[in-house]
Amino acid sequence: MDSLALKDDYGNVTQVNAQNSLQLIAFSIGEQTYGVEITTVREIRAWNGATPLPNTREYVRGVINLRGTIVPIFDLRARFGEGQTSPTKNHVVVVMSVGEKWVRILVDAVSDILTVSKDDIHNVPEGNTLDTELLNGIVTHESRMVGLIDLHAVVSGAKIDP
Amino acid sequence: MSDLDDFKATYFDECTELLTELEEQFAAIEAGERTPDRLNAVFRAIHSIKGGGGAFGFSELVAFAHAYETLLDHVRDGRIELSDPVTVLCIRANDLVADFVNAAKAGTKLGAAYGADERAQFDALTSGNAAESRPTGEDDARGDDEFDIDFVPVMVNLEGAAAEEPAAAADDQFTAMPLAVEKGQWEIRFAPHSELYARANDPLLLFRELANLGELTVVAKLTEIPPLADFEPFGVYCTWELTLVSPTATAESIAEVFEFVEGNCDLSIAQLAGRSHRPSEPTLADLAQLVTLPEKTPTVDETPTLSFAELAETVKKDAPVRVAPAAATPVAAPKLVVPDPAPSMASEEIDDRRSGPEDRRGAGVQSIRVDLDKVDRVVNMVGELVITQSMLSQQMDDTLRARYQELVRGLEVLAQTTRGLQDAVMAIRAQPVKSVFSRMPRLVRELATKTGKKIKLETIGEATEIDKTVIEQLSDPLTHMIRNSADHGIEVPEKRRSLGKPEIGTIRLSAEQAGGNILITVEDDGGGINRERVLEVARDKGIVAIDVTPTDEQIDQLIFAPGFSTAEQVSDISGRGVGMDVVLSNIKKIGGSVHVKSKTGQGTRMTLRLPLTLAVLDVMLVKVGPSPYVIPLSSIVETIQCSRADFGRAPSGAKVLRVRGEYVQVVDLAERFELTGDAELANRFVVLCEAEGGIKIALIVDDIIGQQQVVIKSLEENFESIEGIAGGTILGDGNVALIVDVQGLKANNSLHKNAA
Repeated sequence: MDSLALKDDYGNVTQVNAQNSLQLIAFSIGEQTYGVEITTVREIRAWNGATPLPNTREYVRGVINLRGTIVPIFDLRARFGEGQTSPTKNHVVVVMSVGEKWVRILVDAVSDILTVSKDDIHNVPEGNTLDTELLNGIVTHESRMVGLIDLHAVVSGAKIDP
Repeated sequence: MSDLDDFKATYFDECTELLTELEEQFAAIEAGERTPDRLNAVFRAIHSIKGGGGAFGFSELVAFAHAYETLLDHVRDGRIELSDPVTVLCIRANDLVADFVNAAKAGTKLGAAYGADERAQFDALTSGNAAESRPTGEDDARGDDEFDIDFVPVMVNLEGAAAEEPAAAADDQFTAMPLAVEKGQWEIRFAPHSELYARANDPLLLFRELANLGELTVVAKLTEIPPLADFEPFGVYCTWELTLVSPTATAESIAEVFEFVEGNCDLSIAQLAGRSHRPSEPTLADLAQLVTLPEKTPTVDETPTLSFAELAETVKKDAPVRVAPAAATPVAAPKLVVPDPAPSMASEEIDDRRSGPEDRRGAGVQSIRVDLDKVDRVVNMVGELVITQSMLSQQMDDTLRARYQELVRGLEVLAQTTRGLQDAVMAIRAQPVKSVFSRMPRLVRELATKTGKKIKLETIGEATEIDKTVIEQLSDPLTHMIRNSADHGIEVPEKRRSLGKPEIGTIRLSAEQAGGNILITVEDDGGGINRERVLEVARDKGIVAIDVTPTDEQIDQLIFAPGFSTAEQVSDISGRGVGMDVVLSNIKKIGGSVHVKSKTGQGTRMTLRLPLTLAVLDVMLVKVGPSPYVIPLSSIVETIQCSRADFGRAPSGAKVLRVRGEYVQVVDLAERFELTGDAELANRFVVLCEAEGGIKIALIVDDIIGQQQVVIKSLEENFESIEGIAGGTILGDGNVALIVDVQGLKANNSLHKNAA
């Protein structure tokens, strides 16, 4: 795709394509696949423990040291209300930037890089407030349903106010 | 455009430094060191501010600075005595200059009325004097002239400044003329180096300035000029001997003309003994020499392609004008048979004086301005390096040590280098406390005036260096402490006399380094803390329960309680009860502590214990449940094993700890942070901490691991702040430990607070 963009003949076509398509990093929690835009992802690491933070919601797994800065880890499973993940060395932590801040998200596995068309993004069906709050939309990729994570929503409200 | 902005930024940086210097100089002047050096430094500072301000068109600033400068000029040459009221006026003027600079920086105008009072006072002082000693009209005209020049926005570069300054200096001298009584004759030898020309200085201009001082005879030494074949276009072959006959000139005023070519020429200034002088001798030949002299070097250097004849032509045109004073000398000569009136003005003195600015310039070359952010970045990275290094060292076990000896050696060197690097970086941030201390004399003076007391301030250990951030946080607390001493501590003179104390009260401000801490002490010889009064007020305000009898020490600590004040009425100095509270919270914020010691009738001593640097915090590493936590060492009073601690229960069911007859609120960190530990209560530890206001709090932790230094990391950077946690830090093994916020824990548990 990118190599095509360099060719003049296809210039117009690919530009439309570039504007219209979205690259996602897909990761799984249980059976379900979720995705975030690839540009927000900084790195992918294995789970290596965390220092628990008091007075925070259960989906805040704690903080860890990322090359000298302290970065929180969010447990995406717990965020969706499915209980805390019991992490092993095989669990994966995705480092992302949300606005100015860096966060880490604990997921079961990272599966793929997907290129989807923006036209294929569907609205999240009304009904479940947790879904509409945490997802920006749903895409279908090779007949799989991929939920687009709203990172800002995921990391907000993490503190328990006394 | 951005270039101009850069210049402006530099100018404002310089202004800040110059204003600080003004403070320092006046502090010394106030202390009685009314030396010409100091006055000159003050004058130079104001002049530089004015000059730069003119270049950027800050007319308000320039107008005020000019008026101030005129006053200083009068003071400098002795027409106005530097009496106390004048000093006070000057110090007030410094503040106003600072205001004008700030306004210019912010791009706002303060209005014509701002500082008008002071200007009126300057004018009253200066014109009062002028009326006595000289025809006024001329003076005014001159003043205005200079004024106009300064208003013209000029792009200032080095050369420009050099050209402008001697003019101003000479002008100052002009105003000084009427005072001097005796005529003097001076011999000046001037041998420029090639740098002088390279910097676009022109001896002609210098001589012109000299000619303004009096009757000038110039003799060019042309013997060094080589045959044309060997003539180097940029060579320097010409030196001059000048004779100046002037009733007013001093070695200083002459040296001042050459101030901007210092170091670029060989200069000797000597006063000729009272023999009859040469100006009566000048012959036509001399004059001819005079006329031709300027053509030699300056013009040759600048336009070496012109023919000699052409040069001579151009120079001769205006030469007669230039040497007019010299030509007039034969007429003036007979009056001048006066022996040297001031032989004391030896040429060594001139050298001394000249070395001053040169040193400053030298220092300027050796220092650079660096954005503090950049330094902070280095500090942070060094912090990381220290952690990584200690992590590496911890990984080395005995087997590895035995096997990889080279690696071990390398690690040891790394450890040393890292430590050296850390020290060096911290030294960059370190500044002498002088920058804060120098603001205090003025405060004391103001306070003395307002309260009608006689107070002197002694400062000790001004050179002690502390981290810049700490210094910034120090100004407010010190101000409050000194205010407190002046207002509450020192008694009025009558009372002091009746007590047999010296009438003048002393406040001693000192700084010293003690281990990893800096101790700053504010000590007064006043009446000490009036404990009865403090206790009475504290009971009134409900800070202390009626039935509790605190110890003297506890009463002393009460002055730090928020809203506490014993003043019967709120004055503009103190009485609102904010002051000492601010002291404590500011000092706590930077990880320090405050200690008060007072002796009734003898005075009060307040000691601030501050960390050397903010980047590294001394902590105690503890374990709560499975997680490591750190508690700042500065807030820890003592640690007790739980099995030996004396717990009790308050009616609410909350645990309290009895320690030395005091009941202290207990916070079980594991409970508080919802962490499950498996330690037996008997094996756990109590860490007794002191929060703000001397209120103690006992934290129960599962284990105490040890003391160490950590680098503070913010949680907010990527998350948000959390109750009871002051931040995080990264331990040697790369794990994150949280820093316990003792103050926050106390506030949160205030429900079951027991009477202190």
